[in-house]
Amino acid sequence: MTSLIHLLKIDLKKLTSYRTFWIVCGLYFITLAFSTASGMEFLKWLARTFKNFGSELNINRIPLYHFPDVWLNLIYFSGLLKIVLAIMTVISITNEYTYRTLRQNVIDGLSRWEFLLSKILTNVGLSLLSVLMVSVIAFVTGLIYSPELNWRYVFSDMEFLVAYFLEIFAFLSYALMLGVFVQRSGLTIILLLLSHMLEAIVRENVDNYVPQIIPFFPMESISNLVPMPYQRYAFQEIRDYLTFGSIAIALGWTFLFNYFSYAKLKRADI
Amino acid sequence: METVLSITNLTKNFGRLKAVNNLNLQIKRGQVFGMLGPNGSGKTTTLGMLMGVVNPTSGDFSWFNERPTNDVRKKIGAVLEHPIFYPYLSGLKNLELNAMVKQCDPSNIARVLELVELSERKDDKYKTYSLGMKQRLAIASALLNNPTVLILDEPTNGLDPMGIAEIRELIKRIADDGKTIILASHLLDEVQKVCTHFAVLKKGNLVHTGPVDDVGKGEEIVEVIADVQNLNEYLLAFMGTTSVNRENGSFQITMREGFKSKDLNKYLFEKGIIASHLVTKKKSLEKQFLEILSEA
Repeated sequence: MTSLIHLLKIDLKKLTSYRTFWIVCGLYFITLAFSTASGMEFLKWLARTFKNFGSELNINRIPLYHFPDVWLNLIYFSGLLKIVLAIMTVISITNEYTYRTLRQNVIDGLSRWEFLLSKILTNVGLSLLSVLMVSVIAFVTGLIYSPELNWRYVFSDMEFLVAYFLEIFAFLSYALMLGVFVQRSGLTIILLLLSHMLEAIVRENVDNYVPQIIPFFPMESISNLVPMPYQRYAFQEIRDYLTFGSIAIALGWTFLFNYFSYAKLKRADI
Repeated sequence: METVLSITNLTKNFGRLKAVNNLNLQIKRGQVFGMLGPNGSGKTTTLGMLMGVVNPTSGDFSWFNERPTNDVRKKIGAVLEHPIFYPYLSGLKNLELNAMVKQCDPSNIARVLELVELSERKDDKYKTYSLGMKQRLAIASALLNNPTVLILDEPTNGLDPMGIAEIRELIKRIADDGKTIILASHLLDEVQKVCTHFAVLKKGNLVHTGPVDDVGKGEEIVEVIADVQNLNEYLLAFMGTTSVNRENGSFQITMREGFKSKDLNKYLFEKGIIASHLVTKKKSLEKQFLEILSEA
């Protein structure tokens, strides 16, 4: 345990004096906080802008921030922002290649696994911080907007926080792996941004023949963890529970992403 | 003497290129070991393997008779090729980070900064340093864990004459502390001045290894200048001469076995020639190096 903390401290020492780290993380957490907390303002804006919107349904009756809806609503939305955090992960790993500091770290006595682990631990830390942030915002806004407080409702659907953690961590592991393989920041970021689209192209082609394998696709498995909840306000059914399958597949990919990074790092001449 | 480094049959291939071929080498405690060889002879690849950044194709090596793990590397200070640091961190923060990686006492930082005379610039970002300062910071970082072995790869590369002199002084000071030093360098003069032993690599093969003191044993070379028209003929007529070379206005005479410079002096004097300059020269490492390379 002490060695894990030691490794995390090493990576944080590199990052905390790096201005880009503060800018990217600052933008991420500020955007996360403001956008998730201002859903009601958004609805009001919609009502003001489009005449029919307000007359057809009373926005105060959309329980966006009511317990327990607030958990899934905010968690799903926050998941869309994870790309910003992933870009930070890419910068952090590709810098080590550009500056050749990976080589020096190994010369100075880190094993290659320890080096990778220090990056993985930072990913865990950033994922946990996101979970914490969303939990606090969901809890506080829920308390503000919920018409009545029923503690049974307050704590239901919280299991999606676990799925959210996995969603972020899996995606950051993917970003780290891309960085280890591609090694150049610009190209890695482009590939990262295109990942969903590239997978969608494959998915559309596969759809007609073997649709049953689609849930096993990496990007798909990450998005499947937390289902989109908003159509429930248009009287559609949504899945408001975790499925074992989605968790297992995403965990499998998370393991593989990090394993591939390790395998690549281990046999490379750096 | 205790063996610090033992290399057996170490080989590295890059595709079809044999960068290092079946290298065998022993380095003992307290040696200042020079690694010589032209560019691309496999020096840096060898050092890279020894420091865990290049995976050997085959062969083994051991540090301090131990299997080479990352923990063993923490006892070694190494600068390979160029100095490598985080450009956006200050010199001090870079060393603090290195101290964490090497798990050594951070109180050493002030001492090594003082040693390489960087204390005043320690809070400036690494990217603002001049090349000489970067090299010095790299040496400071290598000394951080008070290592028993120091590996320096071209430590004076790209430095101005002042910088080269500074680094040479530093290496001498460190060697005087009884540390084992492995020095890869092009500057043969440098190696001759500071090293006790040396090895020569050529295209990945070890072509020579031995003590530096052995260089220059054997025939003597005498340099002569005298104000005589046909000095050349007189010198060739001397029975102790094997060959005569004209170089920069002076004559270099390679002596036959058993003849010394005083014999030549006496001979010239008897011929009525008074030399204005007569020096016995030791064969330089440079000469020996070139000979070894051409023979190999």
